[in-house]
Amino acid sequence: MTYFKHFFCFCLFASQFLLAQKKDTITRLNEVIVPDAKLRKFSSSQTIDLLSDSILSKNSALLTNVLNYNTVIYFKEYGRGMLSTVAFRGTTASQTAVIWNGININSQMNGSTDFNTLSGMDYSNISVKGGGGSVIYGSGAIGGTVHLNNDLKFDTSFSNELRLDYGSFNTQGISYKSHFSDKKWSAQIGFSRNYSDNDYDYPGAFDWKGKQRFNENGEYQVVTLNANVGFKIDDRQLLKLYSQSSNTDRNISLLSPSESRTKYKNDFSRTLLEYNNVLGVWVANFKTAFITENYQYFPDNAVNQFSYGGTKMLMSKADVSFQANKALLFNTILEYNKTTGEGSGFGYHEREITGLALLIKQEVSSKWQNELGIRKEFTTNYKSPLLFSLGSALQLTKGYELKINASHNFRIPTYNDLYWEEGGNPDLKPESSYQAEIANVFKYKNVTLTQTAYFNKIKDLLRWVPGNSGIWSPQNTDRVAAYGSETLLSWKKEMGKSIVEVNGTYAYTISKNEATGKQLFFVPLHKITSAVALSYKKWSANYQMLFNGFVYTQLDNDPTAVVPSYLVGHLGIDYDVPFFAHSKIGVQVLNLWNEKYESLENRIMPGRNYNLYLIFKF
Amino acid sequence: MKLTRVLFVALSIAFLSSCTNDDNENASKGSYDNGVFVLNEGNSSGGSVSFLGDDMVTFKQDVYGAENPGDVFGKYMQNIFFDGDKAYIIAGGSNVINVVNRYTFKLIAKIETGLITPRYGVARNGKAYVTNANTYSYANPATGNTDDFVAVIDLATNKVESKINLNATANRIVMDGDKLYISEPYDSEKVLVVNTITKTLETPINVGSSANTMEVKNGVLYVLASPYGGASKIIKVKLSDKSVTEVLFPVALKGAGNLDIYGSKIYFTKGTGVYNMDVTATQPSETPIFKYTSTSQYGVMYGFAVENDKIYIADGGDFASNGKAYVYSLTGTLQKELAVGVGPNGFYFND
Repeated sequence: MTYFKHFFCFCLFASQFLLAQKKDTITRLNEVIVPDAKLRKFSSSQTIDLLSDSILSKNSALLTNVLNYNTVIYFKEYGRGMLSTVAFRGTTASQTAVIWNGININSQMNGSTDFNTLSGMDYSNISVKGGGGSVIYGSGAIGGTVHLNNDLKFDTSFSNELRLDYGSFNTQGISYKSHFSDKKWSAQIGFSRNYSDNDYDYPGAFDWKGKQRFNENGEYQVVTLNANVGFKIDDRQLLKLYSQSSNTDRNISLLSPSESRTKYKNDFSRTLLEYNNVLGVWVANFKTAFITENYQYFPDNAVNQFSYGGTKMLMSKADVSFQANKALLFNTILEYNKTTGEGSGFGYHEREITGLALLIKQEVSSKWQNELGIRKEFTTNYKSPLLFSLGSALQLTKGYELKINASHNFRIPTYNDLYWEEGGNPDLKPESSYQAEIANVFKYKNVTLTQTAYFNKIKDLLRWVPGNSGIWSPQNTDRVAAYGSETLLSWKKEMGKSIVEVNGTYAYTISKNEATGKQLFFVPLHKITSAVALSYKKWSANYQMLFNGFVYTQLDNDPTAVVPSYLVGHLGIDYDVPFFAHSKIGVQVLNLWNEKYESLENRIMPGRNYNLYLIFKF
Repeated sequence: MKLTRVLFVALSIAFLSSCTNDDNENASKGSYDNGVFVLNEGNSSGGSVSFLGDDMVTFKQDVYGAENPGDVFGKYMQNIFFDGDKAYIIAGGSNVINVVNRYTFKLIAKIETGLITPRYGVARNGKAYVTNANTYSYANPATGNTDDFVAVIDLATNKVESKINLNATANRIVMDGDKLYISEPYDSEKVLVVNTITKTLETPINVGSSANTMEVKNGVLYVLASPYGGASKIIKVKLSDKSVTEVLFPVALKGAGNLDIYGSKIYFTKGTGVYNMDVTATQPSETPIFKYTSTSQYGVMYGFAVENDKIYIADGGDFASNGKAYVYSLTGTLQKELAVGVGPNGFYFND
């Protein structure tokens, strides 16, 4: 029945908008400097799913939403707006690396990224790459990588965008971006604030006295600041500065009202300075970055008592590439980073890592490209394996491309894993993975279909297990075999003043503990997303749908301990307001079918709710 | 013809026997009369209670969930204590005590205020006494180790009526007469003594570090302590004059735990082995009665009890799968093996 509803909804839109005509689009040829050059140059043998700013703007601000509804990545959310971690291709939360303008920003303390502390509005676009990437991006790039990019445009313009959101549960959003550029300078600054009382009722859930249950102690606030500047010193030299800071202040929602009201605050700041010099066939690139992250955990949010932790990381990278001939590109990277961390849980520790990488790209022809990369890291803290990646992309016919890739990747133990008092285990090895994938890309007119099959063997998986006296400690316990397939479909058509765009993803994932043969917990066998966007003249509408298959919550796959599958749909409509140039008013109906669902046991998500937004461009 | 007669006789017998059962004093008061509850600590989404009947056949994995569908039971289940026909189930991670009928397991009330990280409880004369860990020193170095308290609960109203500050850490609790005896293995070297009439602390008993499980028998408090790196010992406190004698264990029994007195014997565990010694003995034997096999690196003997001439063992497994419970005879013959909930940590007998 629900499937029928979704299909019906789709048909309704399709019939209304297909008859319509073309929206006038202004296409200008601008010079755009993309931040993460490696993603284009050395990842052609892997599948990259690009989420444009128009997709970002159709979703609520926190990054979980846009990625959950538009990619194959599975999300585990501890309630709306709460801690949100991922499983990508059947891996764990710290086996997906998040890359900000080319550098890895996963937490040094817990190894993962909380996607509800990031705002999608802060980036020009987001790319999602399935599969290994440790040779280029380092630790954690096992299941895949998520790339947050700020493009710099040199197009002589000045523009401002202000977006205001207001929604159910007193959810407020404000986001402002300003862009200024000429032929030599490009600058963007922005800030965003997202806040919610987040006190939604749990659909159809009542306590033992018969009172409606609701999300208590769920308030959150995320504030971010961004500034990105590019300066062309001359024709050959380019200087870039990216910076971002964020403060998140969240209460942790309760399972039952008697629980202690706790709070978690965390912040980060990142600054990246990059210098690029083109000397004929040589290109030299130097990067230096300084990244800090801090958290405070308040066991009782009424009292100013907390545990805390923080790290500071300084990273330097020298990257030299050499175009030996038309077909052959060599790239060497020397990297050094030093992290100092201090916290109530793990004391004070320093960590130094030196890394060396060599990347080679061979363009046999415009239709056939081969890639090879190796990387080795040196550190006193743990033994690091020799990593590699090799791949090939072959355009066999006009409409068919074949990609193959194999790689060896790793995830290093984090500060918590190594040094947590008590329980930290200084003798841990990195988790490591060998993987292979094959992708078929079919293009026909406006349709692109990508079908990827992969196999990933992970060993020395870290897991925290309780010790004799109740103290938890991490161990390199498990071996996992993860394999499956991903299907990405996109179709876009412009007809007169109307545009229709359809995107869909399907992930089938088996991720088995090799010793027990059991599926990893919190890895669904099936996940499907689909999005339909239509526009006609000043109107546009979109419908996004997510189906998450059930997940086991226990390692033994007890069939009674599962989070059931769910199907959730969002509908959005917006209108270009005539009296303000390029301004928009829009409304979103979230969880349109009022599905009762949770992504973690007893962490119930909201029923149907609404968001209203205004976008001013000036 | 013959068959109907047989059936008639059979039915008559069934009818008559059921009548006698009804008249019997041991008539079942509910589905969970005559058996043992296994408390399963659970994970951050909640714990559960399993039930095994005395017939060793009747078994239900999640009693609370079955009898109270839709209710949130609580996180990190710690302890159950009984009073009259009620069972009080402490959820340490949820600051709540679920009050259920011990025979039907139907929820009667929730004690939801006045508890902060409750641990263990006892009941006597219409009152319950529950230790509360309150804040911990990791976030509150100033008073985290001195703010533990006993919540005094009026069992008629199911409300916390007062609290007794302990100025120390508190975990396990036993009661004898009007006195409470409280141990804590990590940050305390004393057994605290609380007078429940005056609600004041009396002079504590020095027992050394790592004292955990306790039991009172015939006016003597038995405390098992296993100091880190040192030999385990049983401290015997004569409660009439608080005089202390010690039974020092051989080094081979370092790390002993789970004291339980049954009959004239003190039972305890070390690793996967179950040991016993006479209550009056001056030295335990180094030979276990039996050992069980466990694939768990960390959840060995997570729960332990001796009752009904049987030895009950709970194994935590990997704490992310269902744990196991084993029932052995007193001589170490395995009688039953069961898959219970996640992190089984205790047995509570409902007879």
